[in-house]
Amino acid sequence: MVVFALFVISKAGGLIYNREFHTGMSKLSSNDYLMLAGSFHGMHAITKQLCPAPPVAADKANSTLAPSPFINRASGLEVLETSHFRMQCFQTQTGVKFLLFTEPQQPNMDAMVKKIYELYADYVMKNPFYTVEMPIRCEKFDRGLDGFVKVRS
Amino acid sequence: MVLYSFYIFDRHTECIYSKRWTRPVSSSGKPTRPQSGSSITSDSSPAPTRGVMSHSDDEKLIFGLVFSLRNMVQKLGGEDDTFLSYRTGEYKLHYYETPTRMKFVMLTDTKQNNLRPYLHQIWANLYVEYVVKNPLAPVEHPGGIGVANELFERGLETFIKAVLPA
Repeated sequence: MVVFALFVISKAGGLIYNREFHTGMSKLSSNDYLMLAGSFHGMHAITKQLCPAPPVAADKANSTLAPSPFINRASGLEVLETSHFRMQCFQTQTGVKFLLFTEPQQPNMDAMVKKIYELYADYVMKNPFYTVEMPIRCEKFDRGLDGFVKVRS
Repeated sequence: MVLYSFYIFDRHTECIYSKRWTRPVSSSGKPTRPQSGSSITSDSSPAPTRGVMSHSDDEKLIFGLVFSLRNMVQKLGGEDDTFLSYRTGEYKLHYYETPTRMKFVMLTDTKQNNLRPYLHQIWANLYVEYVVKNPLAPVEHPGGIGVANELFERGLETFIKAVLPA
């Protein structure tokens, strides 16, 4: 399996992490990546707006947890398919978006993104020197991602 | 299998045909913004996801969205990459673009596989046959003139009934 790239977009729409694992997508300047991240942020909001049917409330069987205030909120774009790649978008409760680009027909991508979110929580959010909303420069996160992607390819 | 809506956009960014199968979300008289004092967590009925929007607002939003997504995909994947579809938690949008830059968009539920072949068939077997080859229809269709003729409407209905059984 091939993982092309990972983007992390902050809740304000800024690109805070950008990493290419495998060639296969076009090379762009860092300015272009920033612009794409910003426009994707807007498109994601529009996909929420377009929802033709109200979202189904999650089952209430799981009553040990406090009810989420976001049950009735439409989720934005989750999977984007094109002829060359497939993009999985995962938005955390705090609004950070993880975009993972893989080859088309890649199964099980949501589990992968969740795992990357765990790495982010462990190595970025728990890093005392990291300022939120700023570009992520954490060596451990980089290495963790490397290990994770290589094990699976 | 739930079909929500279907749109055709011409190369001048105009929506020349649209069809909806379900009523749009009505905002049932409730305030769209949570008011102080009312608990948002105890609200069990699905809250309106947005205020009332007209059909043409929806059409413009969808056009803008697929246009930007298509540009983003071409930037990231190269010139020969094409945007096929996207899925959210609630619906899936299928996209097909003809060589003449006409855009066919269909919104369905999330379980549907890619409908691009069907959109292609709608273009080739219905649009070309009943709209393009119609001697009475204009070459361009400003405001949708000449697209929603009886043959096309009926053809679309039977086609959708045949390939996408409810």
